[in-house]
Amino acid sequence: MRPPRTTRRQLLRGLAATAPLCALGSTRAPAPSALRTGLHFEAPAPDATVLAAPPPGLPGGFGGWAPPTGDPIRLDLPQLEYEGNWAPRPGAMRVLARELRLRTRLEPMSEPTTVGARERALFETPFLYVAGEGALPNLGDEAEQNLRRFIDFGGLILFDAADGGADLAFTRSVRELLGRIMPGSELAPVSAEHVVFRSFYLVDYPWGRTQVHDSLLAIQEEGRLKVMLTRNDLGGALAETHSGLAAYPCTPGGADQREWAMRFGVNILLYATCTDYKADRAHVETLLRSRRWK
Amino acid sequence: MDARWSVAAGFTPPLWAIVLVVLGAALAAIEGFRAFRSPPLGTSRARGAAVLALRLVSIAAVVGVAFEITLRIEQVSPLGRRVVVLVDRSASMDLADAVDDDEALERRQARLEALWERSAGAREQWVRDGLLVDVRGFDLSSAPLPAAEADTLATKPSGGGSDLAAALSELGEADPTQRVPVVGIVVLSDGLVAPDRATDQHVLSVAESLGVPITTVSVGAPEIRDISVADVRAGEFAFVENVTEIEATVVAHGYRDQSTTVSLRRNGEVVYERPVILRGDGVPHEVRFEVAPDRIGQFVYEVAVDPLEGEATTDNNAQAFVQKVLRDKVRVLHVAGRPDWDVRALRVLLRRDPNVELLSYYILRGFDDIAREDTTAPLSLIPFPTDELFEEQLGSFDLVVLHNFDAVQHHVGGYVDNIAQYVLDGGALVMIGGDLGLSDGGYAPRSISSILPVDTRAPSDNTQGPYRPKLSDTGRRHPITAWLDQSSGETGWDALPELDTFNTMPLAPWAGRLGAAVLLEHPSVRTRDGNAAPLLAVAEPGRGRVMVLATGSTWRMGFAPRLPLIDGARPYDLLWLGAIRWLLRDDSSGRLSLETDKPRYRVGETVELQGRALSAAYAPEPDIEIPWQLRELDGDEDSAPRSEGRWNTDAQGTASTALEGLPVGAYIATASRELGESSDAVSEEDDPGVHEVRRVFIVEPPGRELAKVDADPGIDRLERLAKRTDGEFVDAADGESLPASLPVANADEATPDNMKVEGRDDVALWNGWAAALLLLLSFGGEWILRRRAGFA
Repeated sequence: MRPPRTTRRQLLRGLAATAPLCALGSTRAPAPSALRTGLHFEAPAPDATVLAAPPPGLPGGFGGWAPPTGDPIRLDLPQLEYEGNWAPRPGAMRVLARELRLRTRLEPMSEPTTVGARERALFETPFLYVAGEGALPNLGDEAEQNLRRFIDFGGLILFDAADGGADLAFTRSVRELLGRIMPGSELAPVSAEHVVFRSFYLVDYPWGRTQVHDSLLAIQEEGRLKVMLTRNDLGGALAETHSGLAAYPCTPGGADQREWAMRFGVNILLYATCTDYKADRAHVETLLRSRRWK
Repeated sequence: MDARWSVAAGFTPPLWAIVLVVLGAALAAIEGFRAFRSPPLGTSRARGAAVLALRLVSIAAVVGVAFEITLRIEQVSPLGRRVVVLVDRSASMDLADAVDDDEALERRQARLEALWERSAGAREQWVRDGLLVDVRGFDLSSAPLPAAEADTLATKPSGGGSDLAAALSELGEADPTQRVPVVGIVVLSDGLVAPDRATDQHVLSVAESLGVPITTVSVGAPEIRDISVADVRAGEFAFVENVTEIEATVVAHGYRDQSTTVSLRRNGEVVYERPVILRGDGVPHEVRFEVAPDRIGQFVYEVAVDPLEGEATTDNNAQAFVQKVLRDKVRVLHVAGRPDWDVRALRVLLRRDPNVELLSYYILRGFDDIAREDTTAPLSLIPFPTDELFEEQLGSFDLVVLHNFDAVQHHVGGYVDNIAQYVLDGGALVMIGGDLGLSDGGYAPRSISSILPVDTRAPSDNTQGPYRPKLSDTGRRHPITAWLDQSSGETGWDALPELDTFNTMPLAPWAGRLGAAVLLEHPSVRTRDGNAAPLLAVAEPGRGRVMVLATGSTWRMGFAPRLPLIDGARPYDLLWLGAIRWLLRDDSSGRLSLETDKPRYRVGETVELQGRALSAAYAPEPDIEIPWQLRELDGDEDSAPRSEGRWNTDAQGTASTALEGLPVGAYIATASRELGESSDAVSEEDDPGVHEVRRVFIVEPPGRELAKVDADPGIDRLERLAKRTDGEFVDAADGESLPASLPVANADEATPDNMKVEGRDDVALWNGWAAALLLLLSFGGEWILRRRAGFA
């Protein structure tokens, strides 16, 4: 099966120089794993100065094309609100949402919402950010039942210990909570080879405001991470002051460490939306060549 | 001989008469007793008793006359003794064998008839000994032989098997018409009555349970020349492009060191051949074939061995079976324009299914993201291999999902012709809406828009806001959404979560030609033509299938606080698994089906061939013309059909034909129907085409009787059977005859229930002078005594 009119494709390829390119990857710094796939990028590299739309009435029948005009469908990154210190790093999710918008094709809300564990709105998004400093309070039976259902139906909860390793109370209470809502499951360190460390950026450490714990804890079942616990205060690294400066200093790495934490946060959200998509790629070549043309 | 008597009623009056007689008798008796207990003064007790006695005699006499009471006197003697002769009528009895290599071959049946003839004297002696001889034939069932056949046993044996255990069991069951007890059994057979050890044990157990001696006569001989496919082992199912093994056991007798060829045929065409050198006599040769089916469907495979000269029979040189080839893994290409919760949900669903081989490409960065790229950041991203996916490998996918994918932006716009051709060639395509994919007019080119059920020639609005979709009438029947009709109220969506994004697109003007159908509609949005805007629409362009879903929010059907589970499954899973099954033409989703009631038939059985037509809305479709043909699977597609015709479907969308008298062999039935009005097609590619279906089946010999023909095991079996039941073993091949003194069991002592009536005499008590005199004396006597005693 070949395109009946190769001239159209040639035209479109020529058009690539003037069209927005949304390639899946960087042509400048391909990751080693990308190279292993053996796939090549045929289109020319995009020119950052060009505009988005191909002109209407192109030969080949693309006269109907027009940039989408409606509002994009925005993703919420809700944070759990509970009695106690539920927002030790205010605005952390807002910053992460902004960075996701700037760095990826995701379209998060500018102002992520907050949600209570007993509210129906908990099920508006299959992602939940739970931050805390010190022990989590008892959320109540109804809330815990909702959280259990949230996870069972495919939701992902990200717990973030704002203490950054200085106090184990939050981690301990998260373990206790999970023991009740997911009996038989335990938080365990996530391998550095896990796809969450390469879902967008290549990251080798669970970065945060601190560098105390060298592993991300998670419950992995049915081929996916259902719960994650970051213990190096990811929110602390993300949070900003009103003037846009880092709200909390990252130690010991400073600004570089903050950037890595930002990348790690991006990876977590890409994992939340694509799950183990990046795990497919290692098999692409085999997959493509294992079958013959129909 | 003894006598026994009994009293019987010769006449049964109508019920009212019986009631009248009984009431009258009862009243008379009561009145008699009352008078006896309260006699008139001065009446002696003896006189009172005499009056009562005469009253009772009168009553008895009246009843005797009314019911015509008769005295029956029978002369009885004990029952006789029966010997049952079971004669093997199976096809193996028609084979020829010999005692030694240098002897001429002789049919086992001829040996049997000769033995029966030379044993005539012995049989006469049995009769003289008081034995009743009952001759029955048996193969897969047993029945008495006609008298003429029982005299000579001459016939052409052709039974499909020898079920001796069943024949013996029938003798053990009580037969109300035959009360003569069986005291001995004679089995005339080649002994090939048990294909395996378990059956062998079963035969012995049944024989022992009868408790009578069984005399066995072997008519087989050890030397035979034959080669057979004794056994074939293969799975009922196989998977396309996966290697599956087919093993056959070939057994040869009398062809030591000769060579032959074992072949494997599929639908009549030879696919493999294996040369075989035949070694020891009766040594099983295992022949193995490795097959990788290249397409799905039902196939008739046949393992056959080339016939050799002088074979006892060639009916056992092949064995066929039906194998269904299934799809191994569904290969899915999932391309998404932007990661979101809908992409996540579909990916999780597809990944969870072990039968899905998923290849995903999600656009993680847009042009502006690349422009802002930090060149020092190590990314895990790869380029989008458009050429490889949409030109070189597209045909290798079973299903392509374009999930909110803006094709033009990602250099796929140039490949939409390929995607359209892929569908026309039989591929499956899903287009899911959202803020990118169906919103930018990227699927406006005629090649792609003309195969879609909705009109994509102009960009669609993407609106956001909660709504509950409405199930269309077609949706209530369609396999993708029929479950909604049964589970979720009048609208089909009452209990399900609301959706929240929608791409407004009208139904395509050419939808009818594509067999398009709208399954779900927006509850309030109308298109310019005033119709409800389609939310979920399907079409069947060419040989492929397409589904367009004008929302990217079906993930909410799997994630809600009070999500109703339907038969334990999330609505999201039901929707998508149903969609995938339909898109991939799962058996249950075709618009024409052709079925037989089973895949294998015995010769002589009627084959019921039935076609069923469904409309695009999956309602039974009447008045559809369906031409059908039946051919033998001999590999020659140009051969004349054995049978053919044209159906016109009835109100239920069905039509059928009963095929009778088909000889042994493999057959393929085909049927076809037009899927739409091809005259409206704008181009050849747009022709919706013809849907053809096929079904294969086998007509087999009555059994696998001839799979193992060597008589040696049968001779041993018959000898064991005789020994275990205290019978006698007779080898007809050695010229022996039936014994004149047949081993029999002692008949049970005569019992009242097991006597034969030799004579009977009925004495009527109700008529004649004695009865009249009795009536006169009893009534008259009572009247006189009552008068003298002063009774009232």
